Amino acid sequence: MIIDVHAHWGPWFFTMDVAGASLATMDRYGIGKAIVSATEAVIYDAQAGNRALAKVLEGQDRLHGYVTVNPRRLREAAEDLRDLTGPWVGVKIHTDYTGSPVTSPRMRAALELAVEAGLPALVHTWGPSVLDLAQVCLDVPGLRVIAGHMGADGHRYAIEAARGCDRLYLEPCWSHAPAGRIAEVVAAVDDRQLLFGTDATLIDPSSAFGAVAAAGLTGLTAERVAWRNATELFSI
Amino acid sequence: MMTRMTIEEQPAIPFDAWSLIGGLEVTLDVDVLVGAFPDRDSPPGTPESVGGLLAGHRTRAGAVASLRAALFDVRQGNDEVLALAAESRWLPVGAVDLRDALGAGRELDRLAGAGMRAVRLFPDEQGVDASFPSVRHVARRAAELGLVVLTGGDVRRFWQPFAGIGARVVFLDTHFYHLGDFLVAALEEPGFHTSTRLLNSPDALETVAAELGVERLLHGTRAPHYEPIVPLLRLATSGLDPAQVEAVAGGNARRLLA
Repeated sequence: MIIDVHAHWGPWFFTMDVAGASLATMDRYGIGKAIVSATEAVIYDAQAGNRALAKVLEGQDRLHGYVTVNPRRLREAAEDLRDLTGPWVGVKIHTDYTGSPVTSPRMRAALELAVEAGLPALVHTWGPSVLDLAQVCLDVPGLRVIAGHMGADGHRYAIEAARGCDRLYLEPCWSHAPAGRIAEVVAAVDDRQLLFGTDATLIDPSSAFGAVAAAGLTGLTAERVAWRNATELFSI
Repeated sequence: MMTRMTIEEQPAIPFDAWSLIGGLEVTLDVDVLVGAFPDRDSPPGTPESVGGLLAGHRTRAGAVASLRAALFDVRQGNDEVLALAAESRWLPVGAVDLRDALGAGRELDRLAGAGMRAVRLFPDEQGVDASFPSVRHVARRAAELGLVVLTGGDVRRFWQPFAGIGARVVFLDTHFYHLGDFLVAALEEPGFHTSTRLLNSPDALETVAAELGVERLLHGTRAPHYEPIVPLLRLATSGLDPAQVEAVAGGNARRLLA
């Protein structure tokens, strides 16, 4: 069993045609379930994208939803968090597309909304920003937060972040796969804080799947990364 | 109708990449390095260790260039990879230093005289922009000598010095974010090819095959500094047919480089 905690549904603006590829992409890699955010919600209009995704989530049981929150639209976010329940199991916040650094007051307010809704939040991190996320996590009681991309090229910052806050989880997806990146993180971080994510359908799952495979995880650690931690965190 | 997948129905071993890769073998990896990067914690990159890594990923041969040549001593590094030609698992690729335009031109002449078929450029590692005169100088001289160029750098910029001169080029850093730019450039340049390493969106390989032809795709990993299993897995699970996969896994590179 594999659960992908960082996936998307919908079209992208790049030269690619993957809007309808979510399930087929999952099937190629034996990914049983994915938690997806709508690309429209992440990139342009959170509320419209969330509502479009709601129709996709109806009547199927392999995709769960992230309520995407734009920290600049907190009133709309509160509405969505009130209205969207059932298959919606987390909050997604992208820092760059919304112009909302992890350290910004509006990001903190958005994360407090996630806490009020009782949902974990997936936040885009790159480089040292994952350390800022750990500090916010320490500052916001009850927050459970996933560092999306686990800092990408800042995976050593991600190690420090995870070791500093046990409510911060790491998710590894990236289009690059430097040698040894995953193994280094797994060796240094409590495996109860590790999740699996792909960034599909933007990135093919081969990138994260192969990088994790290269780390040679076995036993309980492999199960925790693959699905156990995700089922506990998202109650799915 | 959706199919419910239970835990019992899933593979027993999570992340079992080799079951997905199946029997795929690579006959030539176009992006292999020996040597180490001094500015990062990287594998030592000895020929023995890199050869073992390739063998462990079902890869018979690698087009190998030297980081010593790229970063410090062009001639000594190139001579080290030239010496590897005695083993069939290596296809030596020369390097030049774009920070020394005159020396680069002379080294191209020496490499061609030694029978090398390809030269690799390291613009990012050498801090060189595509607009620098040294790049145009090397691009033209390589084309005149019939050398294939393997180049790093952002394809949206590095296509330009190779355009209109009949160059045969493999862009090693083509990211799927920039696939559209590569495609429209390569439509006008039959000598433009791309490595698969960063074409890891769900449909990038298939898009190149459909728009340009599968002969433009060459399997590349950047072993040992990147995980070679990632592009291997992407190729194995692609929508390409078996003959196309075989071509990407080394047939195209053999035709171009050997």
